[in-house]
Amino acid sequence: MTARDLARVGAVIGVGESDYVGDHARVRAGEKPADSYGYAADAFRAALADAGIGRDEIDGLIVGPTLAYERTGEILGINPRWGGQADAMLAVIEACMAIRSGLAEVVALVYGNDQRSAAIQYGGPEAMGGNMFLSYVYHAPWGFTSQGALYAMMFRRFGELTGCTERDLGEVAVAQRHAASLNPHALMRKPITIEDYMAARYICEPLRLFDYCLINDGGVVLIIAEAERARKMARKAPVLIHGVGRSDLNRGATSLEPRLLEFYRPAQEACAAQVYAMAGVGPEDMSALQIYDSFSCHVPFALEGYGYCRPGDVGRFMREDGIGLGGRIPVNTGGGHLSESYMQGWAHQVEAVRQVRGECGARQVAARGAGDSRFVHYNSDVAGKAVSIIYGS
Amino acid sequence: MANSAAVLSMYDEPMWESIRAHDWHLQQCDDCSEWRYPPGPCCPKCLSPRSTWRPLSGRGEIASWVVFHRQYFDNWPPPYNVVAVKLAEGPLVISNLTGPEPEGSWIGRPVEVAYGTDAAGTLLPQMRLAE
Repeated sequence: MTARDLARVGAVIGVGESDYVGDHARVRAGEKPADSYGYAADAFRAALADAGIGRDEIDGLIVGPTLAYERTGEILGINPRWGGQADAMLAVIEACMAIRSGLAEVVALVYGNDQRSAAIQYGGPEAMGGNMFLSYVYHAPWGFTSQGALYAMMFRRFGELTGCTERDLGEVAVAQRHAASLNPHALMRKPITIEDYMAARYICEPLRLFDYCLINDGGVVLIIAEAERARKMARKAPVLIHGVGRSDLNRGATSLEPRLLEFYRPAQEACAAQVYAMAGVGPEDMSALQIYDSFSCHVPFALEGYGYCRPGDVGRFMREDGIGLGGRIPVNTGGGHLSESYMQGWAHQVEAVRQVRGECGARQVAARGAGDSRFVHYNSDVAGKAVSIIYGS
Repeated sequence: MANSAAVLSMYDEPMWESIRAHDWHLQQCDDCSEWRYPPGPCCPKCLSPRSTWRPLSGRGEIASWVVFHRQYFDNWPPPYNVVAVKLAEGPLVISNLTGPEPEGSWIGRPVEVAYGTDAAGTLLPQMRLAE
């Protein structure tokens, strides 16, 4: 039995975000603008306005991992007929599944996180996520902690084997900062050069300061509707979800075998095969690529794993062909986690939708599909769970 | 901040006992001979619940390495290195390289277990370059 097709079953009709820039300034000044639910509510109001629909149209609710399902529904006043909890990428897939099965027609995907003002720790004695991923805490006796260190260990071996240098890796931070400089929603907008990147301090060598994501507060909401209904109800042209894919590597996860010895490549390749087949398009059709970038090195791993360049060639590809706006494949066109906002993949979906719509102003990417259509590919590999989504006109 | 601490499930306890005796043991599957890390209730390869704790040869080679420049724990003041080592028995483990460091790439360098301590004096299985 093969996967039942989820191609073009659901479409994004509305997106919304909290005020990353304004809230971050207030948090840095010692204020607490909102908690996770407050940021989610800000984004929810914005998404309803973007979609041009009323709250009562919503009959499905998925909340992010940082929110309690019932309390979120209570605060937003939603009594759905179907609901659940998921991270950004799985929330999109589950919304399509619910729509395909008839359990829901208009699903709100709601995320909020006060991680900065609540001083959430991603490394050290209180490392977040250890209850879900044993590898985040198991090696602490040897001083090995923080997800950044896991990626530093991975990039070191990858770089030694492929010739992708630290300077090549700097292309990611530089390109994304340039994109962020053109994005009014981005937190870090001052352009940097490769020299700035190389001069920054190491956090966990070989990764430097600019290889690490931001930590900030915020909220994101997407509204996904059944594709036919989306065309009738939405204020703007719906953005179709053309395909999804997923493949997980759990064997050897804590001892870091799939991470260090395979760079998660088998999961990415299986996920890529699924999503490209479902969508009927491939890397050459994409106008932009959004990559979950808690650390910069996600980008070279994904460029090779999803077929955007030849295996072993990513250092040259990033340096010569280019991953910035105007490059061979523009990556994280809003600035990503490194420079826009660390919304754990949620804001990447918003950027993908806005790029497909053509709403991105100075950072807008060009159409590459037939006619004036645009496809934007999103992918992530959080702890070896490769997930992929293709958005398009 | 605080000191780092080991994860101590019921399956980890015997491993740390063996480390305190300077004789690192891991579980080996009684049915398919696969070595297991981290310790656990059954063999991930063949699902057998039967295993025996056996001493490691202590030999392996470096698969990757990093150097911490930021402090996360009281008992780990930077800079310090962390290495990933592929043991001769098969498992990939995390440790620290003590003593002389290699010139150039560390990957593929043969190492052997050398018991050492963190800055708080807690005993750990660490590694040193082998001849």
